[in-house]
Amino acid sequence: MKNKLTVILLALISLQCMNPLFAQDFSATEIVKRADDKFNGEKSSYSVMSMTVIRPDWKRTIEFISWSLGKDYSLALITAPAREAGQTFLKRNSEMWSWNPSISRLIKLPPSMMSQGWMGSDYTNDDILKESSVVNDYTHEILGEENIGDRLCYKIKLTAKEGASIVWGKQIQWIDKKEFLVLKAELYDEDGYLVRTEIGSDIKIMDGRSITSKIELIPEDEPDNRTLLEIREIKFNVAVDESFFSQQNMKRVH
Amino acid sequence: MRENFKIAWRNLWRNRRRTVITSASVFFAVFFAVVMRSYQLGSYDHMINNFIESFTGYLQVQNVKFQDNPLIDNSFNYTDSLAAAISGVDNVVSVTPHLESFTLASSGSQTKGVAVIAIDPGKEKYFSDPEAKLVRYRITDVTLKRLKEAGNIPDKILYRANKSLGRSFSSPSRLELELNLSDEEKQLYLGDILKCLEAPNHYLSEDDNGILVSDRLAGYLKVAIGDSVILMGQGYHGVSATALFPVRGIIKMPAPDIDNKLIVMTIPAAQKFYGAEGKITSFVVNLTDKSNHTINRAKNSINALLRDKNTTTKTWYELNPVLYQQIQGDSQTGIATLGLLYFIIFFGIFGTVLMMVAERKREFGVLVAIGMQKRKLKWIVTIEMALLGAIGLIAGLVTSTPLILYFYYNPILLKGDMASMMEEWGWDPVMPTAWFGPYFYWQTLVVAVMVILVTIYPMRKIGKLKEIDALRA
Repeated sequence: MKNKLTVILLALISLQCMNPLFAQDFSATEIVKRADDKFNGEKSSYSVMSMTVIRPDWKRTIEFISWSLGKDYSLALITAPAREAGQTFLKRNSEMWSWNPSISRLIKLPPSMMSQGWMGSDYTNDDILKESSVVNDYTHEILGEENIGDRLCYKIKLTAKEGASIVWGKQIQWIDKKEFLVLKAELYDEDGYLVRTEIGSDIKIMDGRSITSKIELIPEDEPDNRTLLEIREIKFNVAVDESFFSQQNMKRVH
Repeated sequence: MRENFKIAWRNLWRNRRRTVITSASVFFAVFFAVVMRSYQLGSYDHMINNFIESFTGYLQVQNVKFQDNPLIDNSFNYTDSLAAAISGVDNVVSVTPHLESFTLASSGSQTKGVAVIAIDPGKEKYFSDPEAKLVRYRITDVTLKRLKEAGNIPDKILYRANKSLGRSFSSPSRLELELNLSDEEKQLYLGDILKCLEAPNHYLSEDDNGILVSDRLAGYLKVAIGDSVILMGQGYHGVSATALFPVRGIIKMPAPDIDNKLIVMTIPAAQKFYGAEGKITSFVVNLTDKSNHTINRAKNSINALLRDKNTTTKTWYELNPVLYQQIQGDSQTGIATLGLLYFIIFFGIFGTVLMMVAERKREFGVLVAIGMQKRKLKWIVTIEMALLGAIGLIAGLVTSTPLILYFYYNPILLKGDMASMMEEWGWDPVMPTAWFGPYFYWQTLVVAVMVILVTIYPMRKIGKLKEIDALRA
């Protein structure tokens, strides 16, 4: 009897030990999900970021704080430069609002402004609004393994599902095998042309998990332009509820 | 020679009717050609004055990238020394700094994309002169009621004013014209009418933080003087440009597509708004005249002054190639029409000459038979032809001169529907004639060529003349 128990225990322990070996056999969907969960897996988040817009003959940095709840709600407050500090942006479902203290006006961004860059960057307002689920809106396929820098990555092809209302037709992501972080992504339009490349780097441990603290965006048609997003601080599962993401609160948060 | 001339002159008046008919056809050709061409060139001149002298300028100093990509990023640094240096170039009349951009304008729930032109209020008076475009008089329900209540205005004028409801005017003369006032009516009522229809308006001061809004745009945004307009857009190097501007004045731009979307502010206000300290997008340069020679010389001299290699000088036809091609195309059509006119007239003259030679065959025969040299005869006929042409030419030029002079100083002003139509196309509803220029002198050459061509026929006829046959004719 005692022996039997030991055998089971041993078996259980060895099962535990074999876990990393199983990791090699994740399905493509699981890999993408684990990478996605790094940023979007929790209910809510609070982050302090800076965004540097780089152009051939100038660059400029904007600092902002952002709160988010699920995929549908987020609020951003610009903190620097002084000229623009105090502006807030609210995303509720598929609508985006902007509050500007210098004119004390709340503005719903019109469709005509959707393709413009957010705060002059390479991220368009549409990118922020139509953020899709890389897990649910795409089918996934492992193409192989490749090194990005000195890190071994899964190379995964994501193909948009029929009927999904998303911006990209296809993505190719390089996801770190150990940490499940997207180190590089190529985004293609519906006709299969490369539109932009995103590069994640500078892996840091923040709020108990390792994440890429720098994300660089390089548009394909203007290879000299880029936007660098740096995460200075990030906390997950902060206490915010839906009522935080209101037009009233846009004018109050500071 | 003198004798030949005398004979030719007498010959001409021996058959008065023939002479009158032939020179009349030359006269009409010259008269119509001159008047037509004068109107055509005059309207172009006016269009160029109207459009180029107050909108694009003959030359503009810009960042090389600005024309293809009119962003505030593609601007350059303003320096007083450069402005002064450009003013010193030969033939330069005015140098006006501009900062031009596009933004969203919003008031209440109305939002519209607008063109913002930032100006130096003082210098701009010598260029587009927005002060002269301020709406001074306006026919609205309110002002019309005021006009009715004034009591002494006759119904006839009230009726005419009612027909022009909704229109606005920058000067008393334009209003006067619209209401079709006779001199007597002007004397009696103009003062009262102006008082009733007056609209308060202000121009910008040197460092004003307010704006001027074009008439139709103000109507769309539903703003009046004293209200505020929100401007929202992207400034220099991507900064967000958002601010509230009080409306100082309403301006009436003649071209509706500009009137629909223009906002004018001062350069310092715009530089602050766009975060573009010390930047302008263009120096607009007006010259004494628009001949290619003047334009190219001024362009080269200004280019030599530019230290910043990212800036360059562009001519009005480089800035506005569509307008340039349109003018050229229309001018070619005009020349083709003239060609057709002359072609028809040429055969008219040829016809009368043909008749003349047939009629005078016997006369020529007698002259040669009694010993006149054919060479001398040819000379006399040539002089006759030249005189015919000259009479027609001089009569044509002389009669068209007062017409051209009169309409140069008193251009035809269009009124009513015709005027609104012209205004909708973006032209000023005015049709002046052009001042005497090469087009006028060219007529002489054309007539000379026609006369020479037509003279070939009698020359050949006289050359081949057989006295016996001619005497029997």
